[in-house]
Amino acid sequence: MRLPSDIELGKALCLHCEKLHPVTRHTCTRCGAPVHQRIPDSIPKTWSFAIASMLFLIPANLLPMMIVNSIAGKDAGTIMEGVLYFFHHGSYGIAFVIFTASVFVPFFKVTVLIYLLLIVHFGWASRAMQGLKLFRIIHFVGKWSMLDIFVVALMVGLVQFGGLATIVTGPAALTFAFAVVMTMLATESFDSRLLFDIGRKREAAAMNKTIHEGKRDGK
Amino acid sequence: MELTACKQCGTVVGMPEHLSPSQYRCPYCNALLHRRGQAFTDIIIMAVTTLLLFVPLTFLPVLSLNIMGIRSSATLFEALWQLYADGYHIIAVLSILTGLLIPVLMMVLLLLILVPIRLGYRPKTVALYYRIYDHMKEWGMAEVYLISIMVAIIKLSKMATLHVGLGLFVFVFFFLTFYITTVWFNPDDIWDEDAVAE
Repeated sequence: MRLPSDIELGKALCLHCEKLHPVTRHTCTRCGAPVHQRIPDSIPKTWSFAIASMLFLIPANLLPMMIVNSIAGKDAGTIMEGVLYFFHHGSYGIAFVIFTASVFVPFFKVTVLIYLLLIVHFGWASRAMQGLKLFRIIHFVGKWSMLDIFVVALMVGLVQFGGLATIVTGPAALTFAFAVVMTMLATESFDSRLLFDIGRKREAAAMNKTIHEGKRDGK
Repeated sequence: MELTACKQCGTVVGMPEHLSPSQYRCPYCNALLHRRGQAFTDIIIMAVTTLLLFVPLTFLPVLSLNIMGIRSSATLFEALWQLYADGYHIIAVLSILTGLLIPVLMMVLLLLILVPIRLGYRPKTVALYYRIYDHMKEWGMAEVYLISIMVAIIKLSKMATLHVGLGLFVFVFFFLTFYITTVWFNPDDIWDEDAVAE
Protein backbone atom coordinates (compact mmCIF):
# COMPACT_ATOMS: atom_id res chain seq x y z
CA MET A 1 0.00 0.00 0.00
CA ARG A 2 1.22 3.50 -0.78
CA LEU A 3 1.70 5.77 2.21
CA PRO A 4 0.22 9.18 1.41
CA SER A 5 2.05 12.40 2.28
CA ASP A 6 0.62 15.46 3.98
CA ILE A 7 0.50 17.31 0.64
CA GLU A 8 -1.64 14.62 -1.00
CA LEU A 9 -4.09 14.69 1.90
CA GLY A 10 -4.11 18.51 2.10
CA LYS A 11 -2.64 18.58 5.60
CA ALA A 12 0.03 20.69 7.26
CA LEU A 13 2.05 19.69 10.32
CA CYS A 14 2.95 22.03 13.18
CA LEU A 15 6.70 21.52 13.52
CA HIS A 16 6.69 22.46 17.20
CA CYS A 17 3.93 20.35 18.76
CA GLU A 18 3.43 17.95 15.82
CA LYS A 19 -0.29 18.44 15.49
CA LEU A 20 -1.69 17.83 12.02
CA HIS A 21 -3.90 20.60 10.64
CA PRO A 22 -5.84 21.11 7.43
CA VAL A 23 -3.65 23.05 5.01
CA THR A 24 -5.91 26.13 5.26
CA ARG A 25 -4.82 26.72 8.86
CA HIS A 26 -1.89 29.10 9.41
CA THR A 27 -1.64 29.09 13.20
CA CYS A 28 -1.50 25.98 15.33
CA THR A 29 -4.61 25.55 17.48
CA ARG A 30 -2.66 23.65 20.08
CA CYS A 31 0.54 25.66 20.61
CA GLY A 32 -0.02 28.87 18.65
CA ALA A 33 3.02 28.49 16.38
CA PRO A 34 2.81 29.50 12.71
CA VAL A 35 2.01 26.45 10.56
CA HIS A 36 3.42 25.93 7.07
CA GLN A 37 3.14 22.81 4.95
CA ARG A 38 6.84 23.14 4.10
CA ILE A 39 9.40 25.48 5.67
CA PRO A 40 8.93 28.77 3.74
CA ASP A 41 11.78 29.60 1.31
CA SER A 42 13.65 26.52 2.50
CA ILE A 43 15.69 26.07 -0.70
CA PRO A 44 16.91 29.67 -1.26
CA LYS A 45 17.69 30.00 2.46
CA THR A 46 19.67 26.77 2.52
CA TRP A 47 21.55 27.76 -0.63
CA SER A 48 22.56 31.11 0.81
CA PHE A 49 23.69 29.71 4.16
CA ALA A 50 25.58 26.88 2.46
CA ILE A 51 27.39 29.24 0.09
CA ALA A 52 28.14 31.67 2.91
CA SER A 53 29.63 28.91 5.04
CA MET A 54 31.71 27.71 2.09
CA LEU A 55 33.15 31.21 1.67
CA PHE A 56 33.88 31.53 5.40
CA LEU A 57 35.61 28.16 5.41
CA ILE A 58 38.35 29.32 3.04
CA PRO A 59 39.96 31.95 5.32
CA ALA A 60 39.12 29.75 8.32
CA ASN A 61 41.49 27.11 7.01
CA LEU A 62 44.20 29.36 5.59
CA LEU A 63 44.62 31.92 8.38
CA PRO A 64 46.04 31.21 11.85
CA MET A 65 43.58 30.05 14.50
CA MET A 66 45.61 31.18 17.47
CA ILE A 67 48.90 32.90 18.08
CA VAL A 68 51.12 31.82 20.97
CA ASN A 69 53.54 34.43 22.28
CA SER A 70 56.10 32.95 24.64
CA ILE A 71 59.78 33.33 25.52
CA ALA A 72 60.44 30.79 22.80
CA GLY A 73 59.03 33.26 20.26
CA LYS A 74 55.85 33.84 18.33
CA ASP A 75 54.00 30.85 16.99
CA ALA A 76 50.93 31.16 14.78
CA GLY A 77 49.15 28.04 13.61
CA THR A 78 46.29 27.19 11.31
CA ILE A 79 43.85 24.40 12.15
CA MET A 80 45.69 21.90 9.96
CA GLU A 81 49.04 22.78 11.51
CA GLY A 82 47.52 22.08 14.93
CA VAL A 83 46.40 18.66 13.72
CA LEU A 84 49.85 17.90 12.29
CA TYR A 85 51.50 19.07 15.51
CA PHE A 86 49.59 16.49 17.55
CA PHE A 87 50.14 13.85 14.89
CA HIS A 88 53.93 14.33 14.96
CA HIS A 89 53.99 14.29 18.75
CA GLY A 90 52.26 10.95 18.86
CA SER A 91 48.87 12.17 20.15
CA TYR A 92 46.98 10.42 17.38
CA GLY A 93 43.69 10.41 19.30
CA ILE A 94 43.63 14.18 19.75
CA ALA A 95 44.86 14.75 16.21
CA PHE A 96 41.98 12.61 14.97
CA VAL A 97 39.36 14.40 17.11
CA ILE A 98 40.51 17.86 16.01
CA PHE A 99 40.78 16.82 12.37
CA THR A 100 37.30 15.29 12.38
CA ALA A 101 35.61 18.13 14.25
CA SER A 102 37.32 21.09 12.56
CA VAL A 103 38.33 20.01 9.09
CA PHE A 104 36.35 16.98 8.00
CA VAL A 105 32.93 17.79 9.51
CA PRO A 106 32.54 21.37 8.17
CA PHE A 107 33.53 20.36 4.62
CA PHE A 108 31.42 17.21 4.81
CA LYS A 109 28.42 19.27 5.96
CA VAL A 110 28.69 21.79 3.15
CA THR A 111 29.15 19.03 0.57
CA VAL A 112 26.13 17.10 1.84
CA LEU A 113 24.00 20.28 1.94
CA ILE A 114 24.80 21.02 -1.68
CA TYR A 115 24.12 17.40 -2.63
CA LEU A 116 20.72 17.62 -0.90
CA LEU A 117 19.91 20.86 -2.69
CA LEU A 118 20.81 19.21 -6.01
CA ILE A 119 18.55 16.22 -5.24
CA VAL A 120 15.65 18.62 -4.72
CA HIS A 121 16.59 20.79 -7.67
CA PHE A 122 16.87 17.98 -10.22
CA GLY A 123 14.24 15.76 -8.60
CA TRP A 124 16.46 12.71 -8.17
CA ALA A 125 13.70 10.75 -6.47
CA SER A 126 15.71 7.54 -6.18
CA ARG A 127 18.31 9.32 -4.03
CA ALA A 128 15.81 10.82 -1.59
CA MET A 129 16.22 8.17 1.10
CA GLN A 130 20.02 8.28 0.87
CA GLY A 131 19.79 12.07 1.12
CA LEU A 132 17.67 11.85 4.25
CA LYS A 133 20.22 9.53 5.88
CA LEU A 134 23.03 12.00 5.10
CA PHE A 135 20.86 14.83 6.42
CA ARG A 136 20.42 12.98 9.73
CA ILE A 137 24.19 12.59 10.00
CA ILE A 138 24.97 16.28 9.42
CA HIS A 139 22.18 17.25 11.80
CA PHE A 140 23.76 15.08 14.49
CA VAL A 141 27.39 16.16 14.05
CA GLY A 142 26.65 19.84 13.38
CA LYS A 143 27.46 21.39 16.71
CA TRP A 144 30.72 19.47 17.16
CA SER A 145 32.52 21.76 14.73
CA MET A 146 32.39 24.42 17.44
CA LEU A 147 34.96 22.35 19.37
CA ASP A 148 37.99 24.21 18.11
CA ILE A 149 36.44 27.59 18.87
CA PHE A 150 35.93 26.55 22.47
CA VAL A 151 39.47 25.18 22.70
CA VAL A 152 40.93 28.46 21.43
CA ALA A 153 38.67 30.48 23.71
CA LEU A 154 39.72 28.45 26.74
CA MET A 155 43.40 28.63 25.94
CA VAL A 156 43.28 32.37 25.39
CA GLY A 157 41.47 32.76 28.68
CA LEU A 158 43.79 30.53 30.65
CA VAL A 159 47.20 31.39 29.30
CA GLN A 160 47.67 34.97 30.45
CA PHE A 161 51.17 35.29 31.83
CA GLY A 162 52.05 38.77 30.71
CA GLY A 163 55.58 38.79 29.23
CA LEU A 164 56.13 35.08 29.75
CA ALA A 165 53.42 33.59 27.61
CA THR A 166 50.12 34.77 26.16
CA ILE A 167 47.82 33.29 23.59
CA VAL A 168 45.70 35.48 21.33
CA THR A 169 42.96 34.50 18.95
CA GLY A 170 43.90 34.43 15.28
CA PRO A 171 41.70 35.83 12.51
CA ALA A 172 40.59 32.32 11.50
CA ALA A 173 38.69 31.84 14.76
CA LEU A 174 36.05 34.38 13.78
CA THR A 175 35.57 33.17 10.21
CA PHE A 176 35.53 29.58 11.42
CA ALA A 177 32.85 30.39 14.00
CA PHE A 178 30.81 32.10 11.28
CA ALA A 179 31.23 29.12 8.96
CA VAL A 180 29.96 26.74 11.65
CA VAL A 181 27.00 28.97 12.50
CA MET A 182 26.14 29.24 8.79
CA THR A 183 26.17 25.45 8.32
CA MET A 184 23.93 25.08 11.37
CA LEU A 185 21.51 27.69 10.02
CA ALA A 186 21.56 25.93 6.64
CA THR A 187 20.70 22.59 8.26
CA GLU A 188 17.88 24.23 10.19
CA SER A 189 16.40 25.88 7.11
CA PHE A 190 16.49 22.74 5.00
CA ASP A 191 13.18 20.88 4.89
CA SER A 192 13.99 17.20 4.36
CA ARG A 193 10.41 16.50 3.24
CA LEU A 194 11.20 18.30 0.00
CA LEU A 195 13.48 15.38 -0.92
CA PHE A 196 10.47 13.08 -1.20
CA ASP A 197 7.88 15.47 -2.62
CA ILE A 198 8.87 15.18 -6.29
CA GLY A 199 9.07 11.39 -6.23
CA ARG A 200 5.68 11.20 -4.54
CA LYS A 201 4.13 13.58 -7.03
CA ARG A 202 5.39 11.39 -9.88
CA GLU A 203 4.12 8.21 -8.22
CA ALA A 204 0.71 9.76 -7.69
CA ALA A 205 0.60 10.97 -11.31
CA ALA A 206 1.59 7.51 -12.58
CA MET A 207 -1.12 5.92 -10.49
CA ASN A 208 -3.77 8.34 -11.73
CA LYS A 209 -2.71 7.60 -15.27
CA THR A 210 -3.09 3.82 -14.86
CA ILE A 211 -6.50 4.28 -13.26
CA HIS A 212 -7.51 6.60 -16.09
CA GLU A 213 -6.28 4.21 -18.80
CA GLY A 214 -7.93 1.30 -17.03
CA LYS A 215 -11.28 3.11 -17.16
CA ARG A 216 -10.86 3.87 -20.85
CA ASP A 217 -10.07 0.24 -21.64
CA GLY A 218 -13.12 -0.83 -19.69
CA LYS A 219 -15.35 1.30 -21.90
CA MET B 1 -6.74 6.96 15.95
CA GLU B 2 -5.15 10.38 15.62
CA LEU B 3 -3.39 11.41 12.45
CA THR B 4 0.07 12.91 12.54
CA ALA B 5 2.77 13.34 9.92
CA CYS B 6 6.45 12.48 9.91
CA LYS B 7 8.60 15.61 10.35
CA GLN B 8 11.33 14.22 8.12
CA CYS B 9 9.53 12.75 5.12
CA GLY B 10 5.95 14.06 5.33
CA THR B 11 4.21 10.67 5.45
CA VAL B 12 0.84 10.83 7.19
CA VAL B 13 0.66 8.24 9.95
CA GLY B 14 -2.21 7.20 12.20
CA MET B 15 -1.24 6.97 15.86
CA PRO B 16 -3.22 4.75 18.24
CA GLU B 17 -5.34 6.44 20.89
CA HIS B 18 -3.50 4.76 23.76
CA LEU B 19 0.22 4.74 23.12
CA SER B 20 2.26 1.84 24.41
CA PRO B 21 5.58 2.55 26.17
CA SER B 22 7.47 1.41 23.07
CA GLN B 23 8.84 3.78 20.44
CA TYR B 24 6.89 4.60 17.31
CA ARG B 25 8.76 5.00 14.05
CA CYS B 26 7.78 6.29 10.63
CA PRO B 27 6.85 3.33 8.38
CA TYR B 28 8.32 5.13 5.37
CA CYS B 29 11.65 6.61 6.55
CA ASN B 30 12.06 5.08 10.04
CA ALA B 31 12.30 8.46 11.80
CA LEU B 32 11.32 8.52 15.47
CA LEU B 33 7.68 9.60 15.78
CA HIS B 34 7.00 9.08 19.44
CA ARG B 35 8.71 7.86 22.56
CA ARG B 36 7.48 7.95 26.10
CA GLY B 37 8.95 10.62 28.38
CA GLN B 38 9.62 10.49 32.10
CA ALA B 39 7.16 11.82 34.70
CA PHE B 40 7.14 15.62 34.95
CA THR B 41 8.05 15.60 38.65
CA ASP B 42 11.25 13.67 37.87
CA ILE B 43 12.19 16.10 35.13
CA ILE B 44 11.51 19.09 37.39
CA ILE B 45 13.79 17.61 40.07
CA MET B 46 16.52 16.96 37.50
CA ALA B 47 16.24 20.48 36.04
CA VAL B 48 16.50 22.01 39.53
CA THR B 49 19.57 19.84 40.22
CA THR B 50 21.17 21.08 37.00
CA LEU B 51 20.50 24.69 37.96
CA LEU B 52 21.90 24.11 41.46
CA LEU B 53 25.05 22.58 39.97
CA PHE B 54 25.42 25.66 37.83
CA VAL B 55 25.79 27.94 40.86
CA PRO B 56 29.26 26.71 41.94
CA LEU B 57 30.39 26.84 38.30
CA THR B 58 30.26 30.61 38.44
CA PHE B 59 33.05 30.81 41.03
CA LEU B 60 34.96 27.48 41.04
CA PRO B 61 38.09 27.42 38.87
CA VAL B 62 38.18 24.76 36.13
CA LEU B 63 41.90 24.81 35.60
CA SER B 64 44.92 26.48 37.07
CA LEU B 65 48.23 26.81 35.31
CA ASN B 66 51.70 27.27 36.61
CA ILE B 67 54.50 28.66 34.48
CA MET B 68 57.75 29.33 36.33
CA GLY B 69 56.05 29.98 39.62
CA ILE B 70 53.35 32.27 38.26
CA ARG B 71 49.85 30.94 38.73
CA SER B 72 46.83 31.66 36.64
CA SER B 73 43.42 30.11 37.11
CA ALA B 74 40.04 30.69 35.57
CA THR B 75 36.43 29.66 35.95
CA LEU B 76 34.38 28.58 32.92
CA PHE B 77 33.08 32.12 32.55
CA GLU B 78 36.39 33.88 33.05
CA ALA B 79 38.09 31.69 30.46
CA LEU B 80 35.60 32.78 27.82
CA TRP B 81 35.23 36.31 29.14
CA GLN B 82 38.91 36.98 28.56
CA LEU B 83 38.16 36.83 24.84
CA TYR B 84 35.65 39.62 25.24
CA ALA B 85 38.19 41.70 27.12
CA ASP B 86 40.66 41.10 24.28
CA GLY B 87 38.18 42.55 21.82
CA TYR B 88 36.82 39.32 20.30
CA HIS B 89 33.27 40.18 21.23
CA ILE B 90 31.48 37.98 18.74
CA ILE B 91 33.34 34.76 19.51
CA ALA B 92 33.15 35.44 23.25
CA VAL B 93 29.41 36.05 23.20
CA LEU B 94 28.82 33.08 20.91
CA SER B 95 30.77 30.65 23.09
CA ILE B 96 29.34 31.88 26.37
CA LEU B 97 25.83 31.61 24.93
CA THR B 98 26.15 28.16 23.38
CA GLY B 99 28.43 26.64 26.00
CA LEU B 100 26.81 27.87 29.19
CA LEU B 101 23.86 30.24 28.97
CA ILE B 102 21.64 28.35 26.53
CA PRO B 103 21.86 25.08 28.53
CA VAL B 104 20.96 27.05 31.68
CA LEU B 105 18.14 28.91 29.93
CA MET B 106 16.81 25.60 28.61
CA MET B 107 16.52 24.32 32.17
CA VAL B 108 14.78 27.53 33.29
CA LEU B 109 12.36 27.25 30.35
CA LEU B 110 11.65 23.60 31.18
CA LEU B 111 10.70 24.65 34.71
CA LEU B 112 8.52 27.43 33.30
CA ILE B 113 6.79 24.83 31.13
CA LEU B 114 6.47 21.90 33.51
CA VAL B 115 5.76 23.55 36.87
CA PRO B 116 2.59 25.36 35.69
CA ILE B 117 1.35 22.21 33.94
CA ARG B 118 2.01 20.17 37.06
CA LEU B 119 0.00 22.76 39.00
CA GLY B 120 -2.89 22.28 36.61
CA TYR B 121 -2.57 25.21 34.22
CA ARG B 122 -3.58 24.70 30.58
CA PRO B 123 -0.70 23.76 28.25
CA LYS B 124 -1.56 26.69 26.02
CA THR B 125 -0.36 29.15 28.67
CA VAL B 126 3.18 27.76 28.40
CA ALA B 127 3.19 27.13 24.64
CA LEU B 128 5.38 30.18 24.01
CA TYR B 129 8.08 28.91 26.40
CA TYR B 130 8.00 25.56 24.66
CA ARG B 131 8.54 27.19 21.28
CA ILE B 132 11.54 29.13 22.60
CA TYR B 133 12.88 25.90 24.12
CA ASP B 134 12.44 24.12 20.78
CA HIS B 135 14.42 26.84 18.99
CA MET B 136 17.22 26.74 21.57
CA LYS B 137 17.63 22.97 21.53
CA GLU B 138 20.01 22.99 18.57
CA TRP B 139 22.21 25.68 20.07
CA GLY B 140 22.98 24.27 23.48
CA MET B 141 26.52 22.94 23.28
CA ALA B 142 27.51 22.04 26.84
CA GLU B 143 28.89 18.69 25.68
CA VAL B 144 31.10 20.34 23.06
CA TYR B 145 32.41 22.73 25.69
CA LEU B 146 33.14 19.80 28.01
CA ILE B 147 35.16 17.91 25.40
CA SER B 148 36.96 21.13 24.43
CA ILE B 149 38.15 21.47 28.05
CA MET B 150 39.68 18.01 27.75
CA VAL B 151 41.40 18.97 24.49
CA ALA B 152 42.66 22.22 26.03
CA ILE B 153 44.05 20.28 29.01
CA ILE B 154 46.04 18.02 26.71
CA LYS B 155 47.28 20.97 24.67
CA LEU B 156 48.27 23.00 27.72
CA SER B 157 49.89 20.14 29.61
CA LYS B 158 52.82 20.50 27.22
CA MET B 159 53.24 24.19 28.05
CA ALA B 160 52.75 24.43 31.78
CA THR B 161 52.04 22.58 35.01
CA LEU B 162 48.32 21.99 35.20
CA HIS B 163 45.96 21.54 38.09
CA VAL B 164 42.44 20.49 37.35
CA GLY B 165 40.07 22.51 39.51
CA LEU B 166 36.92 21.39 41.26
CA GLY B 167 34.95 23.35 38.68
CA LEU B 168 35.68 20.74 36.03
CA PHE B 169 34.17 17.92 38.09
CA VAL B 170 31.11 20.03 38.82
CA PHE B 171 30.84 20.78 35.10
CA VAL B 172 30.87 17.06 34.27
CA PHE B 173 27.94 16.51 36.65
CA PHE B 174 26.23 19.66 35.35
CA PHE B 175 26.42 18.25 31.84
CA LEU B 176 25.21 14.79 32.90
CA THR B 177 22.12 16.12 34.71
CA PHE B 178 21.47 18.55 31.84
CA TYR B 179 21.62 15.71 29.35
CA ILE B 180 19.38 13.41 31.42
CA THR B 181 16.83 16.22 31.83
CA THR B 182 16.59 16.91 28.10
CA VAL B 183 16.35 13.20 27.25
CA TRP B 184 13.64 12.59 29.84
CA PHE B 185 11.53 15.44 28.56
CA ASN B 186 9.15 14.42 25.82
CA PRO B 187 7.19 17.41 24.49
CA ASP B 188 4.30 15.18 23.37
CA ASP B 189 3.42 14.67 27.03
CA ILE B 190 2.58 18.36 27.48
CA TRP B 191 -0.18 18.12 24.90
CA ASP B 192 -1.36 14.67 26.02
CA GLU B 193 -2.42 16.28 29.29
CA ASP B 194 -4.34 18.79 27.21
CA ALA B 195 -6.46 16.01 25.75
CA VAL B 196 -7.26 14.77 29.25
CA ALA B 197 -8.24 18.26 30.40
CA GLU B 198 -10.68 18.80 27.58
